[in-house]
Amino acid sequence: MKLVQIAGYLGSGKTTLIIALSKSLSERGKKIAILVNDVGAVPVDGKVMQEYGLTVKDIGGGCICCQVAGNMLKTLGLLAKGMNPDIIIIEPTGMAVPNAIKKTVVDNTAGRIDISIGPTIVLFDTTREEKLLTYDTLKRLVTTQLLDADIIALSKVDITSEEAVAHARQSVHRINPRAEIITVSTRTGEGLANLINAVQEMTIQA
Amino acid sequence: MKKLVDLRELINPAHEDINSYAITCTVSRERDVGPGELRAFSAGLMAAIAKECFARGAKDIGHIKAYAEHAGGFLYADTLGTPADVTVEGRDGDPAARFTLVINSVIYGLSAEAVKDATEAALKDQLLKFGLVRGTETNNRE
Repeated sequence: MKLVQIAGYLGSGKTTLIIALSKSLSERGKKIAILVNDVGAVPVDGKVMQEYGLTVKDIGGGCICCQVAGNMLKTLGLLAKGMNPDIIIIEPTGMAVPNAIKKTVVDNTAGRIDISIGPTIVLFDTTREEKLLTYDTLKRLVTTQLLDADIIALSKVDITSEEAVAHARQSVHRINPRAEIITVSTRTGEGLANLINAVQEMTIQA
Repeated sequence: MKKLVDLRELINPAHEDINSYAITCTVSRERDVGPGELRAFSAGLMAAIAKECFARGAKDIGHIKAYAEHAGGFLYADTLGTPADVTVEGRDGDPAARFTLVINSVIYGLSAEAVKDATEAALKDQLLKFGLVRGTETNNRE
């Protein structure tokens, strides 16, 4: 099982992207499971994904990068024993730190669950760059998320000016020069094929 | 075998200044709520929570989302704070006199108590506006 994270700040488009990505990877013959985390006791995003006919396990009541990390490990174990998917896509909360999730998995699954770490995709909302990279503690969180990315997906490019997208590209590249940057719009489908190809390529290599 | 790390009591410092509140309850009234009315309620609720949060000093709306579910219908609503951002999507189904409502408000720059107050106040206003009554509560959580 490969673990793929679709992370990024609140409202950046993670759920919509995961629905598109899961459908596409399933069409390419991959068995996909989705693990969704929400801070509310009853997760909303998992329910929305189930509406699209996807296989979803959801974890509510806290963030899997810290408070409910144990629940994530338990759920991964159950998925491995039961469904044994090719790929598990994790949607953490928008305030999660991707590397904290990776570390929890790596430190606690060795010899117990057959799982390997695939790519981390971090979405960056191009309509909100000024807020995301200006407000002090928010900037720290978003920068940390971007630093943990293998792929940075600049989202909502259909409703942002070309100048704003170009500016966002420069900003995120300065923060994480090693990440591949792809522009996407889940509304129009722009860039989705590129992103899905990149994820699939990295998932096979990982 | 390696001992499991128990992180249940730890909160990542990166979450500083972000607080959330969630409500799960039933909502009902004697007269059926039609699809258009339920969409209007959901959209109004999103806008009202955002407004209440800003009124209490929120720096930014992280993400406010909700779903309303009844036999045959499922509506999902969310907002990032500005009125133009409010979206409502899903299956309308037939009119229903009772539905389950789940709300998650995640807000930047507002205390947990204030996020709770804002969410509760907005819900109360919207319920009054539509003549709806709040019923069974489960697992409301800050």
